[in-house]
Amino acid sequence: MEHILATAVFLGVLLFLLGSGVWVGFSLIGVAFTGMVLFAPGAFGQIGDRMMTVIWSSSASWTLTALPLFIWMGEILFRTRLSEDLFKGLAPWMSRLPGRLLHTNIIGCTIFAAISGSSAATVATVGKMSIPELRARKYPEDLVIGTLSGAGTLGLLIPPSIILIVYGVTVNQSISKLFIAGVVPGIVLASLFMAYVIGWSLLRPGRMPPAEPRRPFGEKLGQSLYLIPVLLLIAGVLGSIYGGIATATEAAVFGVAGALGLSAVQGSLSRETFRESLLGATRTSAMIALILAGAAFLTLAMGFTGLPRGLASWIAGFNLSKYELILALTVFYILLGCFLDGISAVVLTMAIVEPMILQAGIDLIWFGIFLVVVVEMAQITPPIGFNLFVLQGMTGHNIGYIAKVSLPLFLVMVFAVFLIVVFPDIVMFLPDSMAGPAG
Amino acid sequence: MADFILDYGPLAAVLAAGGFALSAGLTLPAARFAAGLYRICGAAGACFLVLIGLLILLEIGSRAAAVYVPGLKAYAGYSMAASAFFAFAYTFGHRAHIRMSAIIGRLTGRARRIAEIWCLAASSFVTGFVCWYAVKLVAVSWDLEDVSESTDRMLLWIPQTAVAAGATVLFVCVLHRFVDVLRGADIGDQRSADVMATAE
Repeated sequence: MEHILATAVFLGVLLFLLGSGVWVGFSLIGVAFTGMVLFAPGAFGQIGDRMMTVIWSSSASWTLTALPLFIWMGEILFRTRLSEDLFKGLAPWMSRLPGRLLHTNIIGCTIFAAISGSSAATVATVGKMSIPELRARKYPEDLVIGTLSGAGTLGLLIPPSIILIVYGVTVNQSISKLFIAGVVPGIVLASLFMAYVIGWSLLRPGRMPPAEPRRPFGEKLGQSLYLIPVLLLIAGVLGSIYGGIATATEAAVFGVAGALGLSAVQGSLSRETFRESLLGATRTSAMIALILAGAAFLTLAMGFTGLPRGLASWIAGFNLSKYELILALTVFYILLGCFLDGISAVVLTMAIVEPMILQAGIDLIWFGIFLVVVVEMAQITPPIGFNLFVLQGMTGHNIGYIAKVSLPLFLVMVFAVFLIVVFPDIVMFLPDSMAGPAG
Repeated sequence: MADFILDYGPLAAVLAAGGFALSAGLTLPAARFAAGLYRICGAAGACFLVLIGLLILLEIGSRAAAVYVPGLKAYAGYSMAASAFFAFAYTFGHRAHIRMSAIIGRLTGRARRIAEIWCLAASSFVTGFVCWYAVKLVAVSWDLEDVSESTDRMLLWIPQTAVAAGATVLFVCVLHRFVDVLRGADIGDQRSADVMATAE
């Protein structure tokens, strides 16, 4: 890094703009502008032309179209009776497991995660029904809140995942592959959460409420009948991607159509809910598109600063092993996640981190899943953890309490990161066995 | 004529947008008109979102029927850009754009107001800059009769006009808000806005 002063100014502007609360998308453009002024050769007037060229080509992107469609699908199902169905359909099957209905939180989040790409929406949908029901049955509050906040993070990992689309677009990797790669780690993580609840309740049998009365098999099945179309929708969307029948975008269209059909059959599709779901999806995807447009310009500017190359060779100078590098990145992203939301953290850092991990010989698909699990952990750490905010709004507990009861789940996630680092095949074997062309 | 538009088009767009934003901040009829403009652009963004879905359905259908329709993927990409840019201002109005609130969320009173004024001043500069060059991009593409390299052979200034229009309305919206806050408008609670942005 030859221009130390200019680099310091550049990083200072970055921290100042983001930290002072300027909207993330505008901050990224402002920082990139500064970088271009300091580092890019050529006339001042060219900066804007170069900016607009990259913003245009990154915005008018076929790959990106999966994003608004998956968001819309989640928005439609968010407005159906799904949270009720999830609880009623799952509860009868859980009463024999140690920890009983607490598992409805975890499995409910897993299922909702498979139709929504956002963890806050997952927490909100599942919790809307399960919090009052579990409280009425006197389940320990610590676990009701903790499992919900922990399992809610699955929304980011289990496809469709907004953050995986953003990552895939940023580093130019197949979104289909990333989605399929997220499936097994998501299930592993959900199983670990369930194992934690089972272990906890076996150790403290006195704190669990008595079992619900046994119900005959037919009645149980009747209760969960409503869940079957949702499960079919999930299987259809993921199966068509895995089978190579559809690209992620095409699967998203099927997802939207299925979601509309489902809510029409349920009777919750009205003009009002249609309009709200569409406008909600428009806003969320515009919000993300603004960040991505800024990030595209920032990536261009970063190239001129020489920071990514400089940092990559600086890191290479330490001769870190792959595991040491991953450990360092884990700590870095958890710290970053304390101040930034996941999507901003990913787009802001990938221009710098990508050369680093490529040099270390780390696979970009594997890294995407690793990154999302780590960013998930940041969702439940204070001071900026979106799941914590959502739960604060829903339960009235303060952030400190929610963070405290989420801590054991956070540790479970640390263990999950350890697992996918030591056994990378957990991530890689499904995408490696995928059929056909993937887009 | 072409040279004139190339040289002065972006300047004219930024000046007109700035002037309109200023009047929207100062007079009620202009403010009402501006609010309607943001809403209509939001609705346009929503329509383009639906259009993305329809184009992809058409793509799937035509592939299944073994009929080749050129350029569908490119059209879906243009709709993506149009959907996002048209909706930027509407999204800003709903406070759904994300910002880092760790520090400003803790400020109150005068300090909070000064921080907000700084944020809006910086954002007005950024959006004005983007507006200028988005309009210039259209003018240049129009002048050179730039054609898409993909199978659609679209004249690029057509979809780029949607982007320029959206960028201009976003500039109007941010500057309008800036004037409002300078004149003492309520700032509101940022933290709850952040949560809504993700919950939605």
